[in-house]
Amino acid sequence: MNRRDFLKGLLSTSYVVISGASVLAPLNALAQVGAKKQDGWLTTGSHFGAFKIKRKNGVIDQVKPFDSDKYPTDMINGIRGLVYNPSRVRYPMVRLDFLLNGHKSDTSQRGDFRFVRVTWDKALGLFKDSLDQIQTQYGPSALHAGQTGWRATGQLHSSTSHMQRAVNMHGNYVKKIGDYSTGAGQTILPYVLGSTEVYAQGTSWPLILDNSDTIILWANDPYKNLQVGWNAETHESYEYLAQLKQKVKAGKIRVISIDPVATKTQNYLGCENVYVNPQTDVPLMLGIAHELYTNKLYSKEFVEGYSLGFEQFVPYLTGKTDGVEKTAKWAAAITGVDADVIKSLAKIMAGGRTQMLMGWCIQRQQHGEQPYWMAAVLATMLGQIGLPGGGVSYGHHYSSIGVPSSGAAAPGGFPRNLDEGKKPLFDNDDFKGASKVIPVARWVDAILEPGKTIEANGSKVTYPDIKMMVISGNNPWNHHQDRNRMKQAFQKLECVVTVDINWTATCRFSDIVLPACTTLERNDIDVYGSYSNRGLLAMQKMVEPLFNSLSDFEIFSRFAALLGREKEYTRGMTEFDWLKKLYGGCKLANDGKFAMPEFEQFWSDGYVHFGEGKPWTRHADFREDPEINPLGTPSGLIEIFSRKIDRYNYDDCKGHPTWMEKSERSHGGPGSDKYPVWMQSCHPDKRLHSQMCESQAYRESYTVKGREPVYISPIDAKARGIKDGDIVRVFNDRGQLLAGAVVSNNFPRGVIRIEEGAWYGPVGDDGSVEGGAKIGAICSYGDPNTLTQDIGSSKLAQACSAYTCSVNFEKFHGKVPNVSSFNGPIEVKQ
Amino acid sequence: MSETDKNGDEINNDEMNCARNRVYQLLSSLFAREIDQALVSEFSSKQAQDFWHQLATQPEFIEPVNLIMEVIAGLTTNDDLLELAADFCGLFLVGTKHSASPYASLYMGNKDATLFGPQHQKMVSFLEENKLQLQSDFAEPADHVAVILAYAGHLVINASDKNQLSYLQNYLASWLGNFVAQVESVDQGRFYSALARLTLAWVNLEIEWLDSPSF
Repeated sequence: MNRRDFLKGLLSTSYVVISGASVLAPLNALAQVGAKKQDGWLTTGSHFGAFKIKRKNGVIDQVKPFDSDKYPTDMINGIRGLVYNPSRVRYPMVRLDFLLNGHKSDTSQRGDFRFVRVTWDKALGLFKDSLDQIQTQYGPSALHAGQTGWRATGQLHSSTSHMQRAVNMHGNYVKKIGDYSTGAGQTILPYVLGSTEVYAQGTSWPLILDNSDTIILWANDPYKNLQVGWNAETHESYEYLAQLKQKVKAGKIRVISIDPVATKTQNYLGCENVYVNPQTDVPLMLGIAHELYTNKLYSKEFVEGYSLGFEQFVPYLTGKTDGVEKTAKWAAAITGVDADVIKSLAKIMAGGRTQMLMGWCIQRQQHGEQPYWMAAVLATMLGQIGLPGGGVSYGHHYSSIGVPSSGAAAPGGFPRNLDEGKKPLFDNDDFKGASKVIPVARWVDAILEPGKTIEANGSKVTYPDIKMMVISGNNPWNHHQDRNRMKQAFQKLECVVTVDINWTATCRFSDIVLPACTTLERNDIDVYGSYSNRGLLAMQKMVEPLFNSLSDFEIFSRFAALLGREKEYTRGMTEFDWLKKLYGGCKLANDGKFAMPEFEQFWSDGYVHFGEGKPWTRHADFREDPEINPLGTPSGLIEIFSRKIDRYNYDDCKGHPTWMEKSERSHGGPGSDKYPVWMQSCHPDKRLHSQMCESQAYRESYTVKGREPVYISPIDAKARGIKDGDIVRVFNDRGQLLAGAVVSNNFPRGVIRIEEGAWYGPVGDDGSVEGGAKIGAICSYGDPNTLTQDIGSSKLAQACSAYTCSVNFEKFHGKVPNVSSFNGPIEVKQ
Repeated sequence: MSETDKNGDEINNDEMNCARNRVYQLLSSLFAREIDQALVSEFSSKQAQDFWHQLATQPEFIEPVNLIMEVIAGLTTNDDLLELAADFCGLFLVGTKHSASPYASLYMGNKDATLFGPQHQKMVSFLEENKLQLQSDFAEPADHVAVILAYAGHLVINASDKNQLSYLQNYLASWLGNFVAQVESVDQGRFYSALARLTLAWVNLEIEWLDSPSF
């Protein structure tokens, strides 16, 4: 048939598609003017730093670091991708089976990635219906809306605050205590040093640089971790690390990194390393303490004047209580550190001004309370707590702690709770005998064993029978341990609602997914420098929310409207009204101390500077006068022995720091015959946890064969016939994953690293994404939490224990499945 | 639009282009959004059925058109529509490795490509030059296959053959094959792979016709 006849035939049918308008419309000339305008540089901030951004035709075009950021992170290269990556949640979606069957859906299908698009009205309506059903049928104990994470920066648009305020308007729910970052540490340190210590300003770097003879980096990699911050990160710490590098080079300060791995910091500083067997830091500390004690190198006056309980600790140290003397030789056998090195460490630390800087990974293991407690005991014995450049810090790798604070007040935020006198729609406070608050990392336990009572920090917690979870701006399918166990637990939930920017694994395993927009698609303000409070930053909206995404403020205003309480929710204020109010509050608080212009001027400038800070020493006031400035402990002193903890009678957290064997441990510990390798899953180098894992271009800069890297020692690689770039299967009894091998001299025998934050991408044996819903499915991308253990650190903190994890690995010989975690530019098939 | 000549003589160019425009509109609308009940009802009309049958007279279109018609005929319940909507969503709305995000920028071989990239900008300027823009409720990048097809439909009744050919070659054919291959490899149903195949066959035939000296 020739063309004319063919087309003639089509025309003769008179058919023209009518349903659904064309995607094109006549040009609205007025609307285009705004988008076309060539802008100047706009300002915003993020966890990765503050930036200036330029648009072109309404699209983000150029990104450059904030003027005063002298050490911008590489992650800035991923900013454009953060907004424009294909993994954005574009529309409200509902899992098909949930749409059809509601709370009777087949929950084992969760993760099969079968969703349908719905309108905002429909999605929010379903959300409310589920909340109604849960509150009516079960009551508040069945709803968990307390999970938190790193969200995105901004004081107004805090995803947690918006979700919790709005959900609380509907009803009460289960909350959490603690966090995955410092769960054990923040629980033990108030007993020992009277404060959480981990989220507090520390001794200023200038004082450390001027006064310390020795710095101990204990399981600490600040050069890696300081790239990101809780608020807009200033990266000021890097200036001090650069100065430290010079001092190390000049032999002025001795820096010793106690770590099984040669860290990024160690390589940057060119400092010394003491290898220690994984999870055996407490025996090492005890060996050092024993040396200090027996050689009388410790400060008797400081111990007597500023601490309590040394005399109860000493018999443990000398072996009087348990028959095991904690000598350097004893420690050497467990730690793999030569006894002479242990003795030498004691001499070095006591022989001058020593600053101990603890990382956070070390307390993210079973009995994670112990290394922090024992570090405090060591510091007490050294007697330098409260001296500039001495003592112990638990946060110098975090969010500009150690950078002198300006002293300015930071702005407040959007309220997380109901306003005074307001009550939820379902005003029911009966949790049926279950606890209203659970330790953050025990939520899977709660789902699997409702009604069970556990010990937690001196109290009893009874697990609620959770049936529904609402998750906003965090990614439990990243931060929690033991994926397969999680999968099992998740199947018991009747409804899961997630609000996020990208299709995280949590979104994939949810029933209702609501698209939030990024920081660059809304207006906000933030403090510049979480602890330095260097200034106040405008976060100017760069582009309109993409697709059908909305700000959290807008999402939950609409939700509140369903309850007839929108005015109450917003307090009758728009986004800009709120910003002016928060700014005004900050200006008032700083009145007379720090000059701040009127809001309009601030917004136009994009930033107001609060000035430099003055150096400060942590615990100096306590040292000066422990009676007038007591610590927040029961005695007001450093508690080497805690009567309070002793009375709890916990077998896994005693009255003083104790070495306890782990449930599994490599290098001669339990289970090391079957699983001889320790897997560390530390904070990533090129991401903020799981954020920015979705930016294809940036991911290409570090992934191996499209997968998360697994760092392997040359000796272990050789033994298994693995070369750089091979695909490796890592496994234990809890699960299996595929990762890409990077053979590196930074790693010793028996230690591998897979950074946490790798997006969970399970696939079936046939490589299908639906098969990934099955329990035991292999993770095609390399999420290390497929293999980690879901146990509490101890009865004290019940915290995340991801680092107590033994594995083995081999070269992968099967058919390599596609990575199922995300989609970027499609590989062009020629 | 003028009717076909009473004598059954060959129709004029305007009329041919009108027919072509309707094909582009149809393809565009099927990629633009999920199939709803209104569209199913419309497809069951005699005009629509005749249109599809006529498409199937072209050998290259027979297989996909028959499959499309078969699937549409089978859409009897709301659940059927939802299953198809889930196919659509997984392919075009979600953006995972098991999707086929329908944006030209992702199929040009540029590993750094993201959404709202150069192809989007290019399409926006084409549209503006022709006093067009995206529908306000179509919240997608302008290099969405539905937009590129709709604009092709606009060109066939407004631009010269030469310009039409140039556009089809540079802005559609340059990436469509990769897109279609991706759809075929991940589609959990049959409908959208068939639609993708039909679209590719249509565009290829269009280019062949426009590029040949006479027909």
